[in-house]
Amino acid sequence: MKIESTFKVKKGLAEMLKGGVIMDVVNAEQAVIAEKSGAVAVMALERIPADIRADGGVARMSSVGVIQEVMDAVSIPVMAKARIGHFVEAQILESIGIDFIDESEVLTPADDINHINKNNFKSPFVCGATGLGEASRRIAEGAAMIRTKGEAGTGNVIEAVKHMRTITNEINEVLSCDTNQLVALSKKFRAPLNVLEEIKELGKLPVVNFAAGGIATPADAALMMQLGCDGVFVGSGIFKSGDPAERAEAIVVATTNYNDPKVLADVSKDLGEPMVGINIDTLTEEEKLAKRGW
Amino acid sequence: MKVGILSLQGSFLDHQKSLDLISLESLLVKTPEDLDKVDGIILPGGESTAMSKISSYNNLYKKLDTRIKQGLPTLSTCAGTIILAKSVIDGDTHIPNIDIEIQRNAYGRQNESFEADVKFLNNNDIYCFIRAPKIIRTLNNDVKVIATHIEDIVGVSQDNIVSLTYHPELTNDNYYLEWLLAFMKEGKYVGSF
Repeated sequence: MKIESTFKVKKGLAEMLKGGVIMDVVNAEQAVIAEKSGAVAVMALERIPADIRADGGVARMSSVGVIQEVMDAVSIPVMAKARIGHFVEAQILESIGIDFIDESEVLTPADDINHINKNNFKSPFVCGATGLGEASRRIAEGAAMIRTKGEAGTGNVIEAVKHMRTITNEINEVLSCDTNQLVALSKKFRAPLNVLEEIKELGKLPVVNFAAGGIATPADAALMMQLGCDGVFVGSGIFKSGDPAERAEAIVVATTNYNDPKVLADVSKDLGEPMVGINIDTLTEEEKLAKRGW
Repeated sequence: MKVGILSLQGSFLDHQKSLDLISLESLLVKTPEDLDKVDGIILPGGESTAMSKISSYNNLYKKLDTRIKQGLPTLSTCAGTIILAKSVIDGDTHIPNIDIEIQRNAYGRQNESFEADVKFLNNNDIYCFIRAPKIIRTLNNDVKVIATHIEDIVGVSQDNIVSLTYHPELTNDNYYLEWLLAFMKEGKYVGSF
């Protein structure tokens, strides 16, 4: 007996990425720097979120050429983004053998009501969430991994913290309720009942949950790990900084040693300039990427 | 006794759960000093390139290599097995301790990851292979084959080391857990194939 791409195998890859750092890269050269710095996977993109934000306009799936160039350059898993609801972009990514698809709010959504039915795919999916309801709906659709949305391309960790704390608080609410209250909680969070039942049984989300959106320093990565994330995505934070290789390596070591302030102090020394950040309250509601997704 | 789990990155918490299920105390190993406190070690799945990079921060692999060579009971799965292999196709060697030649991502990318029957010692069960490596050949007769999937070698044993290419920690079946307890207590290969 041999069965490919079962949910257990999709979820299993996410389990193998735990405790690691996934880095945004825009070409083969950056991908190699990321791999050598200890990234567990790379996200292949044409433009990193900070530039997508600056450029405006419609942001779509990256060119297949850029993604394949990255896939050829490294031996670690390669992820790529499809627009929310754009199942054809996902089919294309699957056909070129991508290791993970990010159905991402960083791109312009393609469907204002539906997300992709991820159960239809061999490739595993990661999706963003701002709270337990959103995470549960994505899991019901077949997501094998969840990440906080944060506010991508800002270099500002406040939204990722808010989303992680919200998810944790809402999980605690599920765990502390009695089973008679579960249906009401399902309505309150707009979360499928069967996913909440699974959470109650396991004591945690049934899939891995990474931090993403605004992580720019080793301390940011360690903060998200101490808040209970399983690992970290770093988008613009590395290749928008003064010395990407140094910063990438420092964030990797910080993510493993998130509970050891002496190590965090050591790797934070002489890192050069971090990316310039954006204060969230200077963004209009329309400019907030985390609002995308339903 | 206390079993260490190399916890740089990867599925180390899943292995901790396996040890919890057989009531063995565990320690998440991140520093060379941690290795002085353990009577066995597990090298988990994950990304071998990332783990090796992270280990270089405090030179953890040097001490790990010494402890394994001193006879510490050692179990490796997937990426952990790449780390211990003497010969790696399409990749670097890390702390070569087991006489096998291994190929990284030998079955393909994630879309080719699978669940399949494995004969492990005297038991058959279904396990996950995730972007799994393949043991191409054993390099001498000191290495015993202890697990197979069809014709493929997916588990070997040599002295104090057992190396698998799949993920028993994601399944935690009773046969595996009973074997793990016996292996860690006796410190060597346990069972017949």
